[in-house]
Order: sequence, then C-alpha cells, then structure tokens
Amino acid sequence: MANDWLHLFPEKVRMLLKSLPLQLLSAVEEIRVREGRPLEINYSGKYHFLSADGRLTQKPEEAYRPDREDSHRLLDLISNHSLYTMEEELRKGFITIPGGHRIGLAGRTVLSGGGVEHLRDITGFNVRIAREVPGVADSVLPYLLDKGRLRVLHTLILSPPQHGKTTLLRDLARQISGGSQNRQGGSRQGLKVGIVDERSEIAGSRRGIPAFDVGPRTDILDGCPKAEGMMMMIRSLSPDVIIADEIGRPEDADAVTEALHAGITVVASAHGKEVAELARRPGLGSLLEHRMFERYVILHRSEAGLSFRVLDSQKRALLPGAPGERTGGERHA
Amino acid sequence: MLKLFGAVLVVLAGTLAGFQRARQYADRPRNIRSLIAALQRLETEIMYGFTPLPEALRRIGQQCKEPLRALFVQAAEEMSPPHDRSAEEAFGRAMEAHWKAAALKGAEKEVIRQLSCTLGTSDRSNQSNHIALALQQLKQEETAAREDQGKYETMSKSLGLLLGALIVILIF
Repeated sequence: MANDWLHLFPEKVRMLLKSLPLQLLSAVEEIRVREGRPLEINYSGKYHFLSADGRLTQKPEEAYRPDREDSHRLLDLISNHSLYTMEEELRKGFITIPGGHRIGLAGRTVLSGGGVEHLRDITGFNVRIAREVPGVADSVLPYLLDKGRLRVLHTLILSPPQHGKTTLLRDLARQISGGSQNRQGGSRQGLKVGIVDERSEIAGSRRGIPAFDVGPRTDILDGCPKAEGMMMMIRSLSPDVIIADEIGRPEDADAVTEALHAGITVVASAHGKEVAELARRPGLGSLLEHRMFERYVILHRSEAGLSFRVLDSQKRALLPGAPGERTGGERHA
Repeated sequence: MLKLFGAVLVVLAGTLAGFQRARQYADRPRNIRSLIAALQRLETEIMYGFTPLPEALRRIGQQCKEPLRALFVQAAEEMSPPHDRSAEEAFGRAMEAHWKAAALKGAEKEVIRQLSCTLGTSDRSNQSNHIALALQQLKQEETAAREDQGKYETMSKSLGLLLGALIVILIF
C-alpha cells in the first residue's frame, strides 16, 4: 500500500521521485507536473522543485522540466490507457485513481452549449496523495458525540483545501462505525455509517471495495452525486450517520436538510475558513441560518501540525485548539 | 532408381510449395475478416461497455482464434502492469511477435499500427471514428485479398506442380 502511487508516473519522473529519501516520499502531499515547467512537490505545507539529479531546490531554473512525452505518458497511465472511460471525469476536471489519490487536470476546455464538454491538450497535473491517518479524529470525536443519546451530532467540517478535511472524515467514519471500547471506562456502540463518496476520495474504492479502513459498519456509494446519494442512502440503506465530502451546491443543502429531518446525522465538510464566511454562500447559507449543524470543526494546518477548533451551533468555541496543542500530524505511510 | 526417387521428391516439393502459397491466399481474407470482427467488438466495448483498453483487448483476444488471439492477448499483457506500455508500443511489440504467424500483409499492419496510436487517447466519439476508419480500410483490403484469392489460389497450386515438373525436365 505504501507509495502505491509511484507506478503512476512515467519512467523518468518515477526515477526522480524514487531517489528521494523514503521519509520524505511518504510525507509528500502533492506532486505537480506541468509540461515544460518545473516539477514541483509539496509536503508539510511547503513547496519544492525537483532537479534532474533528484535534489530538492527552491530555484525553478534548476528544476527538471517534464516534456511532452512525460505528460502524455502520465495521462495514459492515470487513465489506464483508456481516456474514453474518463469522459465524465474530464468534464469535472479530475480523475480519482484506485487508492483514493486524486489527480486534478489542467488543459484546454472544449465547450458545447456553453458548458464544458471535454478537456483536451492536458498538460497540467496535480497528483494529490491520499493517506490514511488513523487516530487523527481522536481529539475531535468526543466533541461530536451526544453521550446521553448515544448519537453523533450534525457536524460541518471547515477548512481551506489541503488542510486534511477528507483525512479527518475518513477517520471519523472509521471510528463512528467501529465504536470504541474501554475508553474512560465506557464502551460506545458502532453506528451504521453511509459514505456518499462522490469523488471516490474518502474510501478510495476500487470496484466497490474501499481501499482505506472506513470501519466495519460502513456502506459506500462510490462516485455518486452527493445530493442524490444522500437521498438514496436515506431511502435504502438506513444509515445512522451520513458522511459527505465538500458540500456546497444548493441541492446538497436540500439533501442535508432532508437527512436531518429524517433523523439521520450528517457529517459533512465544506471549503471555507470561518463559519461567518460560509453563511454568505448561497447554498449553505440557509443551513447555517436554521442552525442545522450542531457542531462546526475548523481545521487549520500549520508547520506545527494540525489543529482543530470546535464550535457549537451558536458558534461558541468548545475546543480552542492552539496550533500544536494537538497535532494529528504524525504521518503514517 | 535413385534418379526417379529424386524426381518424385522435386515434384512433390514443388507441389507442396504451391499449396502453401495457395493457402496463404485463402487465409488472408479470412484473417482480415476476423480482424474486422475483432475491431467491431472493440468498438462495442469502448462505446457501450466503457471497458478499459487492456481488459477489452484481453476479452477480444479470448474470443478470437489463433493467430489473432495471441496478438490481442499479448497487447493486453503489455499494457497491464508491470509493463504499462502505451497502446502504440504494446501493439508494436505484439505485432512483432505474432504478425508472421498470420497470413496478413503490410497494409493491414499499417492500419493496426495507425489505429494503435490513437486508441485510448481520446473520447468515445473520436475513438469510434478512428475505428470506423480502420474498419473501412480493412474492408478494402479484404476485397482486394478476395480478388487475389480468386485469381491466384488455384493458379499457385498448379504452378507449384508445373514448376516441380519443369525442374525435373531441365535436370534430366
């Protein structure tokens, strides 16, 4: 499982990446390939270029520049030599490969009827490496539980991109679904969890089987649009908790409302820095206005590690996590 | 006595060579036909099955008869991990290894080579166009091959026998 994403890259780039120290390799978060421009890798919130002899450098002029051949090869490999199976993905601008790694694409769009129909001349790739960090949700989970009624509270997780929303959701799914034993003397029963995994990132499913540990009582609707998926879950899979990533469109908000009224807990994530900011967004504003969510978790990642702030439905702080107070940043490859 | 035995051997060799030649004329249209059928199946896999190329090729290979079977299966192998070669490269290698076994000529090889450059690199409608083009070219080749068969098949057979006889006459 470790570094299973290396085989994605064309020979030359793969060799360069392999020459990096293993420790560094297992901390890499993003690899950005742009045709004719410096090869960039990002980890722990910093960026570096990779030179042709395998060194990390800050100077773009020393960096290795992937050529046309490299980008063609990369596209060929990530699409499993079959770009025609990826039409929908190309329209959305990203491909999720087995293992849950997401590859964002940049190229020239082909329009049809005013909408993006296709992406061609793809020359920019952002390979985001998905990692399991078991235990990252340890310090947050107690705040999301209604101990008396043995249920999970409606939660919205907020952070800018790349701060670990999906990683946190994945661990929450695992822990909520698995329950826990002998922690502070009590045991918590596992709940039925349904993941609507529109981008196949949370569970990283391959042919319907999750690549990550998302808990024993978890069902996954892989590749399903969130709004529709939540409704399907409610109707057919009777989950106690629905988990969805990156909600934001008005129809998502409707589906969340529906789920909440059906007595199902929703744990979702959204892009954003502050709750107040979110309230101004058209889709999510109404959810916030009606205080649908009982908990807000705001993630912040700095060099010191991952920190959390937990707010209740009135936006009062419950857990003022100073940076570094609780680091979920220990990474396991 | 020995002379007579030698003469029979020469005539026999000539006849066999003629039959061999004739068989090639008969096999070529048949092989092109199966190639056409295989590409049509490939089109279905791409258009309606959304099957990834390596898997589609493997399936098609398993449905084909030799020598196309070996060709498609090897192309599929070359495209799968750990080789992970591009379609163009995979077909190049597979054709290198198995083309000789088929009674196919350079024209068909070129059609497949050109198709392999575009396989898997574009959206479905584009793939369909390329396959349709390849099919059209193959059909032309098939017609030509059938004409050749009509013209040369029986001729090759008799020519082989006659050539053997000619050699025998010349030597005696």
